[in-house]
Amino acid sequence: MKNKKHAWIFGYSKQSRSIAASLLAENFSITIIENDDKNFQDALSDGYVNSVLIDITADTELEKLDIKQSDWILCLMEDEYLNVFLTLSLRASCTCNQIIAISHSIYSTQKLIMAGANQVIDVYQVSANRIHNIFEKPITTKLMDNFISPSHEFSFKEFTIPKNSFLDGAIIDEVDFDKFGIIFTGIVDKELGDELIFAASNINHKIDNGDIIICIGKNEDLVKFGKYLYKDIA
Amino acid sequence: MFSKYIVKFAFGLYNSKRYTSTKKFFYDLLENENYHYKKIVDIFLIILILSSVIELIYSIKHGVHGWLYIFDLYIVSIVFGIEYMLRLWVHSDMHKIIIKEYERSQFLKIQFKFYAAFIQILTEKWNYIKSPAAIIDLIAISPTYRELRILRIFKLLRYTTSIGQFINVLKTKRFELMTLLILLIFLIGTTGVAMYALEGNINKNINSIFDAVYWALITTATVGYGDIAPVTTMGRIISMIAIITGLVLMAFATSVIVSAFLEKLNEIKDNRLIDSINKEDRFVIICGYGQMAKMLLRQNNFDNKYVIIEKDSNIASQIAKDGFNVITDDVSRHDVITKFNIQYANVSILCIGNDDVENIYITLTAKSLSKDIRVIARASDISMKKKFVLAGADHVIVPNQMANIMLLTSIKQPVVYNVMHALLAGKHAAYLDEIKVLAYDGLIGKSIQEIEFKTKKLLLIGIQKEDHNDFIFNPPASTILEQNDILLIMGPKISVEHFINSFQRSLK
Repeated sequence: MKNKKHAWIFGYSKQSRSIAASLLAENFSITIIENDDKNFQDALSDGYVNSVLIDITADTELEKLDIKQSDWILCLMEDEYLNVFLTLSLRASCTCNQIIAISHSIYSTQKLIMAGANQVIDVYQVSANRIHNIFEKPITTKLMDNFISPSHEFSFKEFTIPKNSFLDGAIIDEVDFDKFGIIFTGIVDKELGDELIFAASNINHKIDNGDIIICIGKNEDLVKFGKYLYKDIA
Repeated sequence: MFSKYIVKFAFGLYNSKRYTSTKKFFYDLLENENYHYKKIVDIFLIILILSSVIELIYSIKHGVHGWLYIFDLYIVSIVFGIEYMLRLWVHSDMHKIIIKEYERSQFLKIQFKFYAAFIQILTEKWNYIKSPAAIIDLIAISPTYRELRILRIFKLLRYTTSIGQFINVLKTKRFELMTLLILLIFLIGTTGVAMYALEGNINKNINSIFDAVYWALITTATVGYGDIAPVTTMGRIISMIAIITGLVLMAFATSVIVSAFLEKLNEIKDNRLIDSINKEDRFVIICGYGQMAKMLLRQNNFDNKYVIIEKDSNIASQIAKDGFNVITDDVSRHDVITKFNIQYANVSILCIGNDDVENIYITLTAKSLSKDIRVIARASDISMKKKFVLAGADHVIVPNQMANIMLLTSIKQPVVYNVMHALLAGKHAAYLDEIKVLAYDGLIGKSIQEIEFKTKKLLLIGIQKEDHNDFIFNPPASTILEQNDILLIMGPKISVEHFINSFQRSLK
């Protein structure tokens, strides 16, 4: 049986419900952690039977949770102070885990980053960006809407380059992505680190296995490209 | 018979599109503050008023020159005369009064009497003629008494909002000011008469009741020219009473005016802001001040062409302290949005408060006023989105949904998340921009291959053709660019800016 990815969701609010449901659909196993009895009961009644009710401000209780290094941690507490405190506590005990936090204000965003979150999603910043783009870049907005819509036609997709695939050892400029009807937009060159290098930066990289490339295109074309990339890999 | 022709004529005017549009044009030109060409007419009239006054001042010491005399006596007066007649014409619709009166008589089955309608027409026009602005206009036309023409300067009142606002503030304290005025008249009258009775035959400077009243006014106002002074003990006692009472009255009048201004200060500020925003062709009204509005304004202040409307005065004063344009009002009220130039300007309304009910109400209010108003509304939940769409919102933002999508993307495709985040936030390394192909710029007629986006460190994502609603993703290299195509390109910000400058330099 394939190992499931595990996500620890701290806080069971209206927002975290939909995140939990989406992750469940993506074959994640989920544990909900709550410090409020009502929310805890809600989580249980929604079918998250392995939910846990603890005092999340107590480090001893957090340590008992047995969070593995490969697990995802989502800090989604509605109370901003508690969310920042929790992020800091978790970072102290789970140094290698990916921690993603939700923020509801610019001040919290900064504090969550300082507290050690790897990724902070600022609810209002995301919306403000979108409104800005509606005014300044209407076509971009349409395209972005397309990416996030459930019935999207276009997507961004990332591909990890497998060993011995046709891209392993290839020079970016020499690859004809047009043939697949997709646009190559960026690469994470593992030789250079984890930073994303955008296609237009004009540095002609050699692609190695383990690198990640990002392409944009129609879903069907991206699927075809994926199949072609992995075709000779058993 | 005469009445029959009058009614026929009135219906003729009522049905005439040309008459209606001509009258509307002149109404807009003279009275509609939001009509662009009104500003030009205003400036022309202001120049005419000032030149006329300057000519009058100049002529006092230097005499009247022939052509200046003709300009002042005929040209200025004729222009002002035409203006007066046009204002009188657009003030009310005579034909509508006649039709209304005719329909009334038809309904009651009585004979239509023109004089009844005529009286109404006269009343309507008289209401205009007796208004202060119209009286000043009439004086400005009159060429008979030359010195009276200096009063033309008062025509400027029509174009000076500050004076208009001052008068409006005074109007709110009409009762208090009238009471003080009556007291003042009483004081001047009684002290003047008393002085005339006491010193009319003794004081050589008081030769008539007018001299005594003049003295009373000068004394009460504490001006004291000294040309008339009391010479008896009783006269001096009356002077002392007049001075002290005058001082008290002045203090009262000042406090009444100051308090009126304090009460109206915010309203005056708000009206000024509305006036200034209404001068713009395109502006944004933000309803609901919170985290989202703050972040949006940090990112995009719409070239300062925006106004926040907040009904809570405490929050409004905090917004003003934060340095944003704000007015205190309840935007869900129908008349608040109508204060803005929704007829001629490109208006967008952002309903981004955290109350769905209020946001939907504002959306409906805006859309009921004009379908052309673009509404971008915030919904608290995806289930509310449908209601906003039904209410007519052009875009619906669901913050939690968007944040969730970003969060899930960051877990499922972390690198894609970085790309999307960079693009959405407009990061310099991955700048996504839309470039419109303009007439006469260097892009028209070129194929995508010729432009060599790659060597310019740019990625062409797609093209929106003017005649196609569809977006052409990754267009073939042979695609020829045409006027009004919109290119969606991605690249470092510096490359995008260089590209725009090199191809559209002539238009910058």
